[in-house]
Amino acid sequence: MPTPVHSSSYSNGPAAEQIGKIRETLLLMASLTDRNLSLALRSLVERDDKLSDAVEAEDSQLDELEVSLDELVINHMATHAPVATDCRFMLVASKISSNLERIGDQAVSIARRARELNKEPLLKPLIDIPRMAQIAAGMLRDSISALIDRKAEMAQEIIRRDKEVDAINKQLARELTSFMLEDPSTITRALNLTLVARSLERIADHCKNIAEEVYYLYQARDIRHERKA
Amino acid sequence: MTARTHPFQRKANLASFQERVVFWSLRAFTYIILLFGVCIFSIIIIKGAPTVFDSFRVTGSFPFISNDFLFTKPQTLHVFKYKGEIKQMAADDYYAFVGQTPAPPPAEIPTTPPAPAPDANAAPSGVAPVAPVAPAPPAIPVPILTTTGINPDDITEHETYSYAAGGIWPQIVGTVLLVIGSMTVALILGIFSAVYLSEYSKQGPFISAIRLAIVNLAGVPSIVFGLFGFGIFVLAFGWNVSLMAGWFTLAFMILPVIITASEESLRAVPQGFRQGSLALGATKWQTIWQNVLPYALPGILTSSVLGIARVAGETAPILFTAAYATSDKLPWEITITPDRLSSGALGYLEYPFLWIHDFVFHGVNALPYHIYVVSSKIPQNEYTERVQYGTAFVFLGVVMTIALASILLRTRLRNRLKW
Amino acid sequence: MSTSPTTIMDETTPTAQSVEVVMNPASPALDKSSRFNAPTIIDIDNVDFYYGQSKALHGINFPIKEKLVTAFIGPSGCGKSTLLRCLNRMNDLVDGTRIGAGSIKISGVDIYDPSVDVIELRKRVGMVFQKSNPFPKSIYENIVYGLRLQGINQKARLDETVERSLRGAALWDEVRDRLHTSALGLSGGQQQRLCIARAIAVEPEIILMDEPCSALDPIATVKVEELIHQLKQNYTIVIVTHNMQQAGRCSDITAFFYMGRLIEIDTTEKIFTNPSQRQTEDYISGRFG
Ligand SMILES: Nc1ncnc2c1ncn2[C@@H]1O[C@H](COP(=O)(O)OP(=O)(O)O)[C@@H](O)[C@H]1O
Ligand SMILES: [Mg+2]
Repeated sequence: MPTPVHSSSYSNGPAAEQIGKIRETLLLMASLTDRNLSLALRSLVERDDKLSDAVEAEDSQLDELEVSLDELVINHMATHAPVATDCRFMLVASKISSNLERIGDQAVSIARRARELNKEPLLKPLIDIPRMAQIAAGMLRDSISALIDRKAEMAQEIIRRDKEVDAINKQLARELTSFMLEDPSTITRALNLTLVARSLERIADHCKNIAEEVYYLYQARDIRHERKA
Repeated sequence: MTARTHPFQRKANLASFQERVVFWSLRAFTYIILLFGVCIFSIIIIKGAPTVFDSFRVTGSFPFISNDFLFTKPQTLHVFKYKGEIKQMAADDYYAFVGQTPAPPPAEIPTTPPAPAPDANAAPSGVAPVAPVAPAPPAIPVPILTTTGINPDDITEHETYSYAAGGIWPQIVGTVLLVIGSMTVALILGIFSAVYLSEYSKQGPFISAIRLAIVNLAGVPSIVFGLFGFGIFVLAFGWNVSLMAGWFTLAFMILPVIITASEESLRAVPQGFRQGSLALGATKWQTIWQNVLPYALPGILTSSVLGIARVAGETAPILFTAAYATSDKLPWEITITPDRLSSGALGYLEYPFLWIHDFVFHGVNALPYHIYVVSSKIPQNEYTERVQYGTAFVFLGVVMTIALASILLRTRLRNRLKW
Repeated sequence: MSTSPTTIMDETTPTAQSVEVVMNPASPALDKSSRFNAPTIIDIDNVDFYYGQSKALHGINFPIKEKLVTAFIGPSGCGKSTLLRCLNRMNDLVDGTRIGAGSIKISGVDIYDPSVDVIELRKRVGMVFQKSNPFPKSIYENIVYGLRLQGINQKARLDETVERSLRGAALWDEVRDRLHTSALGLSGGQQQRLCIARAIAVEPEIILMDEPCSALDPIATVKVEELIHQLKQNYTIVIVTHNMQQAGRCSDITAFFYMGRLIEIDTTEKIFTNPSQRQTEDYISGRFG
């Protein structure tokens, strides 16, 4: 079994311990985020308000974890002056954690929209949104597996999936706009759905960022803002 | 062909000229000094070596080879004409040749010449007196035949030369004993005081003054040490002229060298050995004994090699304290008469102590003193020159042997205790 | 952090498995205040220290906690080694030194009290020096040196101590086949670990280290640092270092000294991320020294 995530150049000792703790915290955040996201989507699909409450309740843990991870990172940087992969891992861990936290926030906002939507009947059968959600959740899981399994190539593939989400989002926005134009009574629901779609699109963006960070961690090459798709 | 010029082109200038002058003059000085050294050594070797090598003799018993010069005592050389034929004989041989005469022995031979022993090497023999007068007047002719049937009238132009015959065995023994004993005394005293000075004492003006005094002692002329030893050991302590007095006098003479060298060697032992040991809960003495002295020892021995040459070579300090020009017994030729021992078992216990006592309180001969005597205390002639150079040659050999032995010892120690 | 791992896990999460394995809710890093709760083993109480007339330490006052690594940092000549050497009275070896005021107590006993036997003190407070100083003896004899001093000569006991100490110093595997060869044949880093092994052979409670890595290459340094991290389980370690990163890497608590005065003492994380004194910050960021 390959060493999960980044393996330090230290075999044991305080450095390895600290890096290990950062890794644990990051993975814990990832699993929490992933769980919150799926809870939020279930609250939408299953029209279950209790799930929405759970998402909102657990988000604070994510926030705490983000803070404590940054503290671990800065302590490690201050006390160990990491270099090379260790150094990139510090930067990447911090960025990934902030992206995860944002994804958590988006999950909360999806859960809130779901609670609104649950008050009224469905505007139309949910097709595009679950598709987007599936892609975005997949992107999140894959980017974390790319981090764990040290797969830089996988990260590149994840980045491409962001385009699909963007496309669905645009198309859904047009569709919902037409609903609103036709029947003003649908405006609230259509707007909420638009916001959910937008959240999912942002989540995909964050996942893309995570994938880019993973790529940077393992390949030491920054692929952000590269024109070539 | 054009000379290529570049920034590093060799040019004639004052500095390079100076460089060459300095180099050649340094080299010349060194070789001149070397030349003198070679001259001195060659003279000693050329003139001295034959004395030693001509005296080899095959014997009938183990180890089948012996050397009369190295392993016999000095004797007076008798030169005389016997029936018109010039003969040279050592005293033993002469008396064997002449045999007992009923008349009293000549005045210039105060000790009773004993009957010639079967083994001339070991027997104590009649030797010339301390202040020899040579050439002695011819023996008084007695018109009676001696026991060997020689008519003393046939011996004419009889002359004697002190020390010119026989060997220098007692001198070699004396020198070796003096060197070993005084080095032992000096090393023990020197190392202990060096340990005190550099490890225990509180460094300050007082200790610095002591150190300065010790260093200055090295500049005191050796004759002063001789007088000091005479006053303290011979007279005040009542040790008489003895090995013991010589050991201590010589030891005191080289103590400054030994102390300074030992302090230097102790300082050369890394401080870490001491701190490491103390930090493990060792006492100061445990630390010094187990972790400092062993590593300083090779260095101390190296510098004491110089001390060996000095101890072996000095005449003045032993002049009044340890050396006899002649002595009829080697230190171990001890007779302990029964009246000195208690009766019974106690006597057997006392015996070794008395033996050691007699050994160390016995005066000795020494090579440098012998050289001094034969080259300035007795009239010079072709017969004494043989002994002078022979002794000098042997002396060089003895010093080299002792020095070599201590160098070997040091190398072994160093290999075992390297850091 | 009140959430137990079971409530935040979701079987749909692909990372759940790995997270569950590595997650440790009682991780001390998340609860760092517990580190200062260790009992005090050395109590340095307002100590002034003099070399002859010159005052090298001015009113040093702080406790050293048991089974933690405490690092002394500060520019050269600020008195780190002096204070360290006060702790096992190695300064006694320097003429004219004295504690002018204050006291140093180890487990409540004033170690400068006349009733204290320095030899016993040094057995309890071991020391490792800047320059590794293996004795020119075999590896084995180096380790048993302290025991032999105490008159312990039974072979079984010595053998057992040699193995235990060398294992403790993470050196056993490297030297087990050549215990009876000269210690000087070891590399610099191995020599330093041998010195640590030699120190732990006499079973001290406290190990003082005066710049133990300053003569070592980076790899050997990492090994010694890892060793320090291991030794922390059983010993209280005080380490002097002029390498700030080293203090960061291997200590729990860092004390910063300047001109014979204690400027700041805090957890290492605090000192390195947010020192409360300006001088400390300047020093650790390399702006003076
Ligand atoms: N043996 C000594 N005698 C006199 N002064 C000393 C001695 N050792 C150290 N000092 C002085 O004490 C101060 C602190 O030295 P030290 O503790 O060795 O500093 P550090 O280990 O922090 O570099 C320095 O000013 C130094 O000059
Ligand atoms: Mg120091």
